Amino acid sequence: MPVNLKDLAQQVVDLAGNSGADDVWATVTNSRDVEFEFRDGALEKVKDTTARGLNIQVFANGRYSTHQTTDLNVDRLAGFVSEAVAITRALEPDEFRKITPEELFSNRPTDDLDLVDASVAELGREQRMAWCRELDAVATDHERVISATAGVYDGTSRSASASSNGFVGSSEATYCWYGSNITLKDKDDRRASDGFYAGGSHVETLPPADVVARTALDRALSRLDSEKGPTLKTTMVVDSRSAASLIGRLLRPANARRVQQGQSYWAPLIGEKAFSDKLTIVDDPLIQRGLNSRLYDGEGISAKVIPIVEEGVISNIYVDTYYGRKANMTPTTGSSSNRRIGTGEMSLEELLGAVGEGVFVTSWLGGNADNTTGDFSLGLRGHMIENGKIGRPVGEMNVTGNLRDLFSRLEMVGNDVYPYSSTLSPSLVFADVDFSGT
Amino acid sequence: MMTIKRRDFLGSVAAGSAILTMPGFLSGCGVQTATAIAGTAPENPFMEWFGVDQATVARVMSELTARGADVADVYFQHSRSNSLTLEDGIVSRANSGIQQGVGLRVVIGEQTGYAFTEDLTLPSMLAAARTASAIASGSKVVAPQSFNPSSSGDLYTTTVPWADVGIDQKLPILKMVEAKAKARDPAIEKVAVYWSDGDERVMIATLDGRLVMDQRPMTRVTVVVTAKKGDETQTGYSNIAAREEFSWYTEERLSKMVDEAVDRTMIQFEAIRPAAGEMQVILASGASGILLHEAIGHGMEADFNRKGTSIYSDMMGKKVAEPFVTVVDQADIPRERGALNYDDEGNKAGRTVMVENGILKSYLHDEISARQYDMKPTGSGRRESYRFAPMPRMTCTFMENGPHTKDEIIAAVDNGIICETYTNGQVQIGAGDFTFYVKNGWLVEKGKITAPIKDVNIIGNGPESLKRITMVANDARLDTGGWTCGKNGQRVPVSQGIPTVLVSKMTVGGENAS
Repeated sequence: MPVNLKDLAQQVVDLAGNSGADDVWATVTNSRDVEFEFRDGALEKVKDTTARGLNIQVFANGRYSTHQTTDLNVDRLAGFVSEAVAITRALEPDEFRKITPEELFSNRPTDDLDLVDASVAELGREQRMAWCRELDAVATDHERVISATAGVYDGTSRSASASSNGFVGSSEATYCWYGSNITLKDKDDRRASDGFYAGGSHVETLPPADVVARTALDRALSRLDSEKGPTLKTTMVVDSRSAASLIGRLLRPANARRVQQGQSYWAPLIGEKAFSDKLTIVDDPLIQRGLNSRLYDGEGISAKVIPIVEEGVISNIYVDTYYGRKANMTPTTGSSSNRRIGTGEMSLEELLGAVGEGVFVTSWLGGNADNTTGDFSLGLRGHMIENGKIGRPVGEMNVTGNLRDLFSRLEMVGNDVYPYSSTLSPSLVFADVDFSGT
Repeated sequence: MMTIKRRDFLGSVAAGSAILTMPGFLSGCGVQTATAIAGTAPENPFMEWFGVDQATVARVMSELTARGADVADVYFQHSRSNSLTLEDGIVSRANSGIQQGVGLRVVIGEQTGYAFTEDLTLPSMLAAARTASAIASGSKVVAPQSFNPSSSGDLYTTTVPWADVGIDQKLPILKMVEAKAKARDPAIEKVAVYWSDGDERVMIATLDGRLVMDQRPMTRVTVVVTAKKGDETQTGYSNIAAREEFSWYTEERLSKMVDEAVDRTMIQFEAIRPAAGEMQVILASGASGILLHEAIGHGMEADFNRKGTSIYSDMMGKKVAEPFVTVVDQADIPRERGALNYDDEGNKAGRTVMVENGILKSYLHDEISARQYDMKPTGSGRRESYRFAPMPRMTCTFMENGPHTKDEIIAAVDNGIICETYTNGQVQIGAGDFTFYVKNGWLVEKGKITAPIKDVNIIGNGPESLKRITMVANDARLDTGGWTCGKNGQRVPVSQGIPTVLVSKMTVGGENAS
């Protein structure tokens, strides 16, 4: 088997051509992943794996299909590819389905995204165990601790793609994350629990393990004596970590597939002022060391910065080549990279002070949103905001409304961007939100 | 395209939390022929499939346990899956997938070493075995030189494997589903149909000399309907799933699914949001088993209890509900999505009564927790694939019939809602707080159904909600939908069911809070 992923991808492209495919796009992946989990003073789990995969998109006679396998044995690849072409031929033709045109991938940026830290591959058992012990020592340093699990996760992923119309590309990235999940004795049979992890592509950028574990412990301690909050309409402050997932929900229908399928409340709002002018969202694949940085997307489209929402106005949505053709929209990219959310001047403390009274959300629990209408209802945990400060812990509450309406009432944004997510959001403040509790 | 692995765990749920979802519509799938590997003498069809023999497996087991082991297993798996998509009137997208590999696990006490390889050659398997064994530092245990095949299960045997069903046979079914949906109402603008099928072979060799083989079919069809009236658009869906074969898709079964999807979509044009706050909640029979999955099922998985992190950790033998409440996890229900002949540690999967007549009776155990509690495993050790170590999971979770009727329950509600269909749920194991998202339901006022409702999240506390189950009807049924449970980054298929139930108080997400 060729050790070079690019060569293997090219070999698969050649095989598909011989099997009668008109066009083919092949991607080969390889990853090494190591997990250490350490609980209550002892190593609990070590997982050390190398995974691989081949993914092909086949275009034949105006028809299209995709195929994956973990079996990269060269003797069997020809069979896999010819079977894939045969499946493709059994489908119905689709005039909108074509391989990514060359002009979308020919002008690829050449930025050095700095996604590889050579020291990750050098990590050994001793370093991982040292982090585990450090995390464990801090995380268990409280009389209420029932159990604490420290985790260290690191690895390297590699990918290479080749296409029948001349695309060749490869990428490599490392990661290293660590943190703790902590469970504390609470009233009656209840346990208070929470966790915190930090990570990134480079080991040197990680905060010290004891600081990470301390954050996890503080988060868990803040859940003690939590009670069900009240039913009321009030201001909602969403912390930066929880804001990232709320923005993710907002953006779920922001793509050409949903729009073309009639399942997006964004569709009639493109080009319009849809949200509060405090809301700005930019998709930025070119952030150095960014968690989702890339030079090309899953279809090979060259990476570029794409404004999605500018001061409340929807300027772009995610458009891939297929649904772009179907919906008559110019392709942007079919999948999100990093998302930068516009920030304000105030710290979280200043936001809470300005708000005075309300609910401060620190995590979500379940819930969902309807992409077609924007109606949503989410479970939450957090604190009451009392006299401009974080007050008593509350949980077992829902927040309910419509996402477009909610983001029209985005009143303030903080300056406190949460760094451990590909959605880089500050804390967000919304007016007049419906909460249900007691 | 394949997602990049390094970020996978960021999307997974943190420990202590678990989620249940209806399908993402593009799960992977395959139609490849067997990948028999030459060079060894086949001893049974599974050995032949994976290209190994008893001696090879014994050699790998010996290497795996060279530094000691209480439990060890070698988990061979080959799965292939196929999916088809109908959108805008044509079936123009297919996907096939093959996943093949072997997972190697060593357990000492509560410590686990895990590795896998996708290259089923002896040198690769031995290297992975050495990696997994590094967790241990003791002396070699006596590994079996041969393995005794366990009897094969019969919960989901098929006459025609999915590999032998061509696209030409499936395509007319997708077309028929679309045509039936479009014919139901002129307001329907779009219909999408998502098909998936798959076959999975697993072969598990254990340190105590068992060789367990299981062949697991799975299929699911989902129909998504989008309708427009004036400026308003609504989307709804329905799906059916089972460990079944092609002949299961009768016109009657598909028509019922289409009717559900269309009804759920059209009713949303009239549906309202209830007022925010606490109220009586009726859970309709079937899919409302989501309550059991979240409110008690996860909290009864013994990994959380051996660590002391579940709210149920100290409740064994105590009264947790009224005497007419009995909650069961049962894997041996033929052809159910959650059914299993054997779990993924090679133990016979069966019936575990978690709550019997209101008393907490048994956790769901894997090998690790069973050893710690000095009990027999309950056959609850499951894994997503060879890429993961097993842990305690649910299979088919349901509540037995009770003494009341559905009509009595509705009549007993002064101000509340009926929950009928769901998209997802989640639980916090330690605090016991859980949620489920109600897509469709009804408002109930003074004992009468008065209006349809939609899109509300319900949140409650597990033990408190169990205590508040004040009525249980006699109409228990399992849901036919394709549920998938996610825990610590591993997804497994599950089933759930329940009779009509009244919970006297839960917090309903609603509008117009004052």
